[in-house]
Amino acid sequence: MLSLSGTGIGRGIAIGRAIVLDQGHNDIPCYRISATALSGEIERFNHAVDAVRADLKRVQRNLPTDAPPETSAFIDVHLLMLDDPVISQQPVQTIQEQQQNAEWALKSHADTLIDFFEDIADPYLRSKKNDVAQVVGRIMGELAHSQGKQPSDLATLGSSLAEQIIVARDLTPADTIMLRGRNMAAFVTSLGGPISHTAILARSLGLPAIVGLHDVIDTIHNNDLLIVDAATGTVLVAPDEPLLAQFRELQQQHLRHQQRLTLLKSEKAVTQDGEAITLLANIELPEDIEGLRSAGAAGVGLYRTEFLFMNRPKPPSEDEQYQAYCHVLRRVEGPVTIRTLDLGADKQVDGGRPDRETTATSALGLRAIRLCLSEPSLFKPQLRAILRAAVHGDAQIMIPMLSSLRELEQSLALVGEVCAELEREAVAFNPKVPLGGMIEVPAAAVSADLFARKLDFLSIGTNDLIQYTLAIDRVDDSVNYLYDPLHPSVLRLIRTVIRAGHEADIPVSMCGEMAGDPAFTRLLLGLGLRHFSMEPSQLLEIRQQVRQSTLAGLPRQVTDILNCVETGSLYDLVDQLNQTDSD
Amino acid sequence: MKLQRELQIVNRLGLHARACAKLVKTANQFESDIVLRQNEHQADAKSIMGLMMLAATQGTRLTVITSGADAEDAMTQVQHLINNRFEEDE
Repeated sequence: MLSLSGTGIGRGIAIGRAIVLDQGHNDIPCYRISATALSGEIERFNHAVDAVRADLKRVQRNLPTDAPPETSAFIDVHLLMLDDPVISQQPVQTIQEQQQNAEWALKSHADTLIDFFEDIADPYLRSKKNDVAQVVGRIMGELAHSQGKQPSDLATLGSSLAEQIIVARDLTPADTIMLRGRNMAAFVTSLGGPISHTAILARSLGLPAIVGLHDVIDTIHNNDLLIVDAATGTVLVAPDEPLLAQFRELQQQHLRHQQRLTLLKSEKAVTQDGEAITLLANIELPEDIEGLRSAGAAGVGLYRTEFLFMNRPKPPSEDEQYQAYCHVLRRVEGPVTIRTLDLGADKQVDGGRPDRETTATSALGLRAIRLCLSEPSLFKPQLRAILRAAVHGDAQIMIPMLSSLRELEQSLALVGEVCAELEREAVAFNPKVPLGGMIEVPAAAVSADLFARKLDFLSIGTNDLIQYTLAIDRVDDSVNYLYDPLHPSVLRLIRTVIRAGHEADIPVSMCGEMAGDPAFTRLLLGLGLRHFSMEPSQLLEIRQQVRQSTLAGLPRQVTDILNCVETGSLYDLVDQLNQTDSD
Repeated sequence: MKLQRELQIVNRLGLHARACAKLVKTANQFESDIVLRQNEHQADAKSIMGLMMLAATQGTRLTVITSGADAEDAMTQVQHLINNRFEEDE
């Protein structure tokens, strides 16, 4: 059995046989065309373009009535690109002048275009290089077809793909539409990220998908049995019978569970004994707001801003950031907690620090607030953008990875400086934006009371807190087994932070994975946590758990758990906690 | 006839693919040549690739030049489309 990981879209599980769509452009042939054969080669190219055009038009005419409204517009874009001289005429010139074969002539022009798009600073406009690649890919597919190669093409697939999983390099919007109604189980692509057409349309189709699995085409063969687990971004190839049975059961559970949960959408997050709990969402991309709304989050407890900074040569300008923050603030009811840049470690920015070697790869290195304080030219535009955007909504600033009070003081001083600048420039901004700290370094957790005196809120980042407390390198597989959210030290630190917040009378939230895991909800309630922030997909689940819990009695039970000295029995105790009075 | 006008891209996503497609479709209705110029770059409004490669984000100022028999109508329509945020919400 083989296990592959990529980026999961959705949370579902699919089990089925692979259909590998070989889009016919993995190996691009390169050869010279004799002078006498040139007109034939040009004709072959023109035929391919005509065939793609006819195919796109056919798809557009036959769009199902429930197709997302933008689908037709996407196909329009591809049709216009196909007719653009850069794509349909310049390769012809190259065939003519350089006596190259059609594939190679097209490839050389396409590469130039794609390189050009790569250099565009705006991430949205830059992502349009995928459209170029898709249109070119279709022409390449037709060219391969005309050479007698028989790529398995969507058009040749049967009308029902029940229990089959589509495996491809990339899916175009048109492909995804052609797949509609054919009942397949999932799709898996080697290209694409969380904002690719594939991902966006997959979400709208409600299909689980794994994208960004680079060599998937080479590893998976037609008819391989696959398990797709979108929640973990994993594809299991040729699983054995016990594993299969296990995932079938999980799949059934997931389906039943989803059906029940949707009933909770508009119910309040209130415990059995009437205490209201605040459930917030973690977001990254503007489209995450949809998920947040449909699950009824009270606001955003963690808005990760790194996305704006990644995969680009230069950091975004203050104005670009301002627009991005405004976009979120205008659409979210309730508070939006914007975490300042948490770059470094496993999240590297491509550019922006050209004069510095990439030494910040360590989780213990120059990252997050450390990096920001060492480079005010990176940090100040972000602070300015947030303070300006805060005029349009309920923004809060959250500083990641604080470890010393000095860092906090420096950050507060910078915020003061930025406010003074904006004041001088007479730019509209909100000077009263609440400022909070992420408590994820043990040093900060132990002395959370000192931080609490200077901050408006605290938020516990459990992922880093666990790895730092237990001295685990997250990228080292051999110590993964030590990662334990229920380690008494971790629980004690969490309790310390929550108490510090209560004593200083400021809110404490939690935005790590633990907050979105229903197995820990009661434990955290018992520790005094009242604000949970999680991936939008977890909101309904946690809401259900909150509604089935009774606060009275929890603190005492949790204290027993924290005082437990028998190793290994903590999980049993938490299980017991979760089973009591659950109806 | 030749007309020249300064316009600003006001929709949030800028000249993205679908906006470009609308602009090309509008431009194709006219005989006139229609060119968008941004500093030293310029693009034929009838070429979607050219427009996309301008990479004009929200706030970008462009010079629109229309020349030909129906230059005036062409300018009016292009201006309307850009100022109307390509019929997008924001």
